[in-house]
Amino acid sequence: MPDVNLIIDGHAVSVPAGTNLVEAARAVDVSIPVFCYHPKLKPVGMCRMCLVEVYTPRIDPATRQVVLGPDGQPQLALMMNKLQPACVTPVSDGMVVKTTTEKVKFAQRGVLEFLLTSHPLDCPVCDKGGECPLQNLTMQWGPEVSRFDYSDKVHFEKPIKLSDVIYLDRERCILCSRCVRFQDDVAGDSVLGFDNRGRSWEIISKSEPGFDSKFSGNTTDICPVGALTSADFRFRSRVWEVRSTPGVCTHCSVGCNISVDARHNKLMRVMPRENDNVNEIWLCDKGRMGMRFIESPTRITKPLVRHNGKLIESTWDDALNRIANNMASVAERSGSTAVGGVIADDLPNEDLFAFRKLISETFGSANLDHRVGLPGDAAIDEAPLVAGVGVDTNLTNLGKGTNVLVVGADVEEEAPVYVLRLRGIQNRGGSVTVVNSFATKLGRGANLDVRVKQGGESAFALAFLKQIVDAQNANGFDRRLRGFDELRNQLNKYTLDVLLADAGVSAEQLKKVVDAYMGASNSIIVYGRAARQIGASISQNLASAAMVTSKCGKANNGVIALSNANTIGATALGIRPGKGGASASEMWDLAEQNKLRALLLVGVDPAGQSERVAQALESVSKNGFLAVQAMFHNETTKRADVILPLMALAERDGTITNAERRVQRFRTAMASPNEMLAPWKVFSTVAELAGVGASSNGRTAVTSGWDYMVTSDVTDDIAKSHRQFANITYTSLDLTMNSWGRQANESVYYDGTSYTNTEGNGVQIATIADDASAPLTVSAVAPVTFEPKGEFTMLMQVPTRAYNGGTWSIDSKLASRQIPAHVIISMADATRWGIGVGDEVMLSSPVGSALIRAQIDKGLAEGQVLLPDVAGAPTHLALGAYTRVSVRRAE
Amino acid sequence: MLSAFFKGLGTTFKYLFKKPVTVEYPEVKRPVHERFRGRHQLQRFANGMERCIGCSLCAAACPADAILVVPAENNPEKPNSPGERFAARYEINMLRCIYCGYCEDACPTNAIVLEHQYELSFYDRKSSIYDKSMLLVPVDKGHGDIPPVLQQLDRRPSPPAQIDL
Repeated sequence: MPDVNLIIDGHAVSVPAGTNLVEAARAVDVSIPVFCYHPKLKPVGMCRMCLVEVYTPRIDPATRQVVLGPDGQPQLALMMNKLQPACVTPVSDGMVVKTTTEKVKFAQRGVLEFLLTSHPLDCPVCDKGGECPLQNLTMQWGPEVSRFDYSDKVHFEKPIKLSDVIYLDRERCILCSRCVRFQDDVAGDSVLGFDNRGRSWEIISKSEPGFDSKFSGNTTDICPVGALTSADFRFRSRVWEVRSTPGVCTHCSVGCNISVDARHNKLMRVMPRENDNVNEIWLCDKGRMGMRFIESPTRITKPLVRHNGKLIESTWDDALNRIANNMASVAERSGSTAVGGVIADDLPNEDLFAFRKLISETFGSANLDHRVGLPGDAAIDEAPLVAGVGVDTNLTNLGKGTNVLVVGADVEEEAPVYVLRLRGIQNRGGSVTVVNSFATKLGRGANLDVRVKQGGESAFALAFLKQIVDAQNANGFDRRLRGFDELRNQLNKYTLDVLLADAGVSAEQLKKVVDAYMGASNSIIVYGRAARQIGASISQNLASAAMVTSKCGKANNGVIALSNANTIGATALGIRPGKGGASASEMWDLAEQNKLRALLLVGVDPAGQSERVAQALESVSKNGFLAVQAMFHNETTKRADVILPLMALAERDGTITNAERRVQRFRTAMASPNEMLAPWKVFSTVAELAGVGASSNGRTAVTSGWDYMVTSDVTDDIAKSHRQFANITYTSLDLTMNSWGRQANESVYYDGTSYTNTEGNGVQIATIADDASAPLTVSAVAPVTFEPKGEFTMLMQVPTRAYNGGTWSIDSKLASRQIPAHVIISMADATRWGIGVGDEVMLSSPVGSALIRAQIDKGLAEGQVLLPDVAGAPTHLALGAYTRVSVRRAE
Repeated sequence: MLSAFFKGLGTTFKYLFKKPVTVEYPEVKRPVHERFRGRHQLQRFANGMERCIGCSLCAAACPADAILVVPAENNPEKPNSPGERFAARYEINMLRCIYCGYCEDACPTNAIVLEHQYELSFYDRKSSIYDKSMLLVPVDKGHGDIPPVLQQLDRRPSPPAQIDL
């Protein structure tokens, strides 16, 4: 847009047309106080705090020309002959704005005096006190005294529980509507509203249960007073007493930047930290309130070793020696193939790297995995590393001309903050297409919501690729594209009609999806759990589509896979079965056959999810050696020979890779109980101990290269040994840029809450497509189809739920939101089998059956069954992305 | 020579008949001024509720970082203090304290007051930390009424003048 020139308080400003005066003034460090205005929300001009004098050149009504004064300069006229609210006044050429005149000051003092007539001034007991815009603005712009009677104020009963996690103090509220607008515009959950009028005007929750949104915590951040406060931080400490440490949330693959606020080594609260590349300034409730587990008294804080069948407390030295000796001796006696390791893919890069080094180099075993080895596991997915979104992708800047295609993902449940980011793209003029087999929240608000048949995702992905390839001519391609002709031949084997029938999508719908994708200048494909479970037939085909259309390898184009916090890192760092090695599920088979005798499990609980794995682990423990590193006791630790406590992320430092391949650094916020060792340190000590025996009894274990002193030594080693990570160092991760909170008095500005990020935006590792000389191989993968058979007439999916009752829910205020185990069936099936809402049903699959409560969803097709993946749900019945099941009334 | 001897003794005799300035501490204690700043006390309201609302402003004002406040939420059935918040822990390290009285100034409810007790000595450093039970005055020693801002009121301001149309 063309730039507009104006003068604000004597400073010449040049900003794009359409900018409002508050933002224009910020560009020259002029502070205009605001309450209701927020740069992430649409301005409404409700609070009148930003009133300024605006002069525009006088226009002669007859000639439409600017009237010039005697000095040759345009004559100025006060706009509307009164003060104007700066937040809703766009800039125009020749404008002269005055923000410090007596008239303006008089208005500002008046606004604050009025606001304070009904504000209780209970700052000493208010959780916002110390980071409160009302306090700050009153100090800088307010009147010294009030003419109103201090003891004659509105007093409401306080506080009102809007939900279990958000409390509303009505007498503190200044009715700026920031929370209402956030919920309506940004989050898309219109659960807040205004009630009554005049002095009785108040915020209410319109939903049941109250304030039913996954993003409710953000309203406490943007609230310019202490009206909305979080139950999680309620009266825990004053905000100036906490010490903030930059962290990264690991509940999902977004990798939101957080600041862990601790006091006296106790967690006080978790706040979002600004990073436009990742989470803007938002954080979901799970990230904000799901970290209380680290102070749980049930945590394992000391190593435990099995002695005569009983687990007894031990020292780190003893436990590590046992692990080293047992694993080394198994490797020696039964060969390295009898050793295996599984590590959780939400642990930092350093742990994953050291783990791979320990298992594959020290013990020489290729049995390595980051998945738990259950039927629902996703395949190892290379697509994000090949055709992932290009380096410098920033969803916050995307809008017009952007299309996001979401396939097989329930974004709100799998990666909540992506909903805000994708909705943001939509709000700025971009489009979102959702292709899923059941209705999702993102789909409801999407520009195009395509419902595929159950199990039809993979046929859809191939149809999508075919439609694109058929329309492409071979010229004008990226020169490095390899295998296009083969791809075309492969695709010729399929007819579009059959694929569309398999997908349950009409040709028009597919055309719309393809047109939206092809027509946009920036196109992103997002896929999630359902797609990853089905595997390469979705990820590879979608990645091929991105490569064929050259919609990858450049910023703001490519694929994003929603997964666990560090799945991308685990894939990139090679936490996968090596040549001839066994994957996790193969390891359980080997264990049953007594071929796997030493196993190291870090942060995973496969036994808790499968009876068969539990027995396999039992046999490893009986015939060999099972070491488990875990935070809490679970089914797996019950069978362990040695249990090591696992550190929480807030207790250590390191780096982690998010869904967009952004490597981000987090730091130690508090000390761990009983001085635990970080996993990488455990692995390096075990490696060294296992190697100590080498000289004495002739073992040939590799012991060199384990001289890590601090975490960054491991990070540096990753940079040395993995080309993608070459430029990842603590120094490069610490660079901060593109933050809006950079002005001198930002706290006075938008919010008192400090989002400030001075600790780095992180660095995106490059994809193969980002390398302009690397060849891109495209190929098509045959679609996987799922058909009901025999007595199992329905197809069941196990979708993710954010509030699933995992570790995060321990001691969390959100525990009440946890979803009870239930199965969702369609209206048609419910009628057919006489099942009502809340009835107990028998859910049977080829591997067993379980009793569970039923819910009915009108949006589901006949034969479609959803079993939300929450604690207590019989997920062991699932055999993959889709499972044939039957649902009957329980007798 | 002799005159100097008598001059000296003269001073002795002069003071022999004057009232002595020393007191026989610790049997006799010298009174302190009204605004003397000695050992702290946590006050109560007349109804026996703690005045301290756990706001930590005293700790923020303290130049010696001698005060620790850990707040908590009142049980509405049986509140410790008026309003929603009270001090679950309140500790002053008397060795750190410099008796400047800034905490008194910062206190919004006049809960912390530097009283006249000045005999503070300890056998070990740990016992220099005075906790809430040592600092609080007895329940019957409260004074003053609870200000409206701390009360759970459901009250609209006095109605505007009714206009008879």
